[in-house]
Amino acid sequence: MSEKVLEVKDLVVEFKTDRGVIKAVNGVNFDVFKGKTVGIVGESGSGKSVSALAIMGLIPSPPGRIASGQILFNGKSLVNMEANEMRKIRGNKIAMIFQEPMTSLNPVFTIGNQIEEVIELHQPQLSRKEREAKAVDMLRLVGIPSPEKRVKEYPHQLSGGMRQRVMIAIALSCEPDVLIADEPTTALDVTIQAQILELMKKLQKELGMGIILITHDLGVVAETCDTVAVMYCGQIVEAADVKTLFNHPRHPYTKGLMNSIPSFDSTSGHRKERLQTIEGMVPSLFDLPAGCNFQDRCVNVTEHCRGNQGEPLLRDMEAGHKAACFNPLQQFEGKGL
Amino acid sequence: MSEYLIEVKNLCKTFPIKGGLLGREIGAVRAVNDVSFKIKRGETLGLVGESGCGKTTLGRSILRLIEPTSGEIIFDGKDIVGASPSEMRAIRRKMQIIFQDPYASLNPRMTIGDILSEPMDIHELHTTKEARKARLLQLLNQVQLPADALNKYPHEFSGGQRQRICIARALAVEPEFIVCDEPVSALDVSVQAQVVNLLMDLQKELGLTFLFIAHDLKVVEYISNRVAVMYLGNMVEVAESSELYGDAKHPYTKALFSAIPHPTTNGRKDRIILEGDIPSPMNPPKGCHFNPRCWNATDVCRDTFPGQTHHSSTHMYRCYHPNTK
Repeated sequence: MSEKVLEVKDLVVEFKTDRGVIKAVNGVNFDVFKGKTVGIVGESGSGKSVSALAIMGLIPSPPGRIASGQILFNGKSLVNMEANEMRKIRGNKIAMIFQEPMTSLNPVFTIGNQIEEVIELHQPQLSRKEREAKAVDMLRLVGIPSPEKRVKEYPHQLSGGMRQRVMIAIALSCEPDVLIADEPTTALDVTIQAQILELMKKLQKELGMGIILITHDLGVVAETCDTVAVMYCGQIVEAADVKTLFNHPRHPYTKGLMNSIPSFDSTSGHRKERLQTIEGMVPSLFDLPAGCNFQDRCVNVTEHCRGNQGEPLLRDMEAGHKAACFNPLQQFEGKGL
Repeated sequence: MSEYLIEVKNLCKTFPIKGGLLGREIGAVRAVNDVSFKIKRGETLGLVGESGCGKTTLGRSILRLIEPTSGEIIFDGKDIVGASPSEMRAIRRKMQIIFQDPYASLNPRMTIGDILSEPMDIHELHTTKEARKARLLQLLNQVQLPADALNKYPHEFSGGQRQRICIARALAVEPEFIVCDEPVSALDVSVQAQVVNLLMDLQKELGLTFLFIAHDLKVVEYISNRVAVMYLGNMVEVAESSELYGDAKHPYTKALFSAIPHPTTNGRKDRIILEGDIPSPMNPPKGCHFNPRCWNATDVCRDTFPGQTHHSSTHMYRCYHPNTK
């Protein structure tokens, strides 16, 4: 087993709103290991991005706050850390790539400037010349052609895929131990997505960082992650290594998500049957039902799920496979894809 | 009555680029370049390609929301490119569009009832109060929304529900042809499946004809009878959707399919990673537009643009070095 770099324990993030306090993240646990990728999957509003922002110490406060739980980075707690100490870690040891490469770069600075800014902040011992050289190296590392020329360009001169590469270059310029990638390829075309994912895998091998990959695309997870956590309404409902999860999911939500994706069936010429869907929609965090949050959309729901037994807790189904469900699918029933 | 509802012949759309001190035309973007296709009644033609390849421009040109530069569009036996504004208005009743972003395409200050009534007001349909009310309820029923939605505002609905409202609005005037411009791209997977099923049910029920534009190949392959692939303004391959996935002739189509991440954990070796980006449509490469990214490119590809090759009556491609099965 490789070294554990980041540990998230029972994390609860609350937001105060006019309609009361909501728990955007409610008791989330996961570990990030060196050189491994953790995938966090879920639909919009499930708390994926808020978990990531909590790790980065970027929860806007107020209205948000980390109500309880621990985030340990190399054994050191990041919750309630002094602001200037956190600043030394953020962007340096833990870096993040955001979803929108179009809006997360500053349009009035050259991309060279923006890479150098990070290096200047975290490695002040380097001279200006060295910083410039490093910026060019970083661009070369992420596969941007003629980097000497590109460092002097502005974001609008680059395509979406190129900008996302620049974001990755910025994130990696201080050789972080943990890289959080929040929907890094959602805004990109499939061919460019394939390039970026390949690049991230290659760089992970070279630099040995742990990656948290947040996405809603199960295909991306299957191809890049080692372990997966599925989130629903702020909680992890299923967690396992990627093979186990895809081959026999235990939570009905996970199985529903997999069934909602159309799959290619090139051999059959006949018209395909209807897509299987998950009925209804994600409940509002303001009025979550008593019992299991998934009850109204679940096919296996029983009185027990709606009752006052409380929420189902994440428990071991078999070694290394956890699910939060009162009526999980049998081990080999939930035949995946 | 022809078997085909829509016939597009040699459609081109170029956008001028103005520059310099006097704002003179200094170049042109060929967004859609000599595209021809036909869609049968009750059929769905899928249109895929990367961003900037001209899919949306093509979809809007067909409805004349963007005026085409040249070419013919024959809708139900009539050429609509030359149609006068009043003729066009009557034709527009039969052709509708559903947009990508259900958050931006509904007026936040109108109730759902008003939103759905507006197209009927314009075309003077169901004008009596009772008939209108009955029609509104029928529309909501068709898209599986509750009747009390009529007096609500768009912000009270989720993304999937808003897209259902957009679908109901398109259906309000009883169209025959609907351009679906990325209707499910902005939705979550579980909701996306619901909307895709709804569109297919409505098509069966009402005999609609769809042009379904999307960049998600899995959804397009699923919903379409035939799929057309665009690259830099050109249609590079058209085939039956079941045939296209297994037997793509154009290297670009093959690369596009292989780039899709599959939700399986069995390792794949067939992935093709394309180098580089889609070139600028202002200055497309000489010869086949795909040649700088193509692994099969030879001198002829760098020199002349490939013509159409008909592999079968339903399968067309433009390539000098097609893939073999």
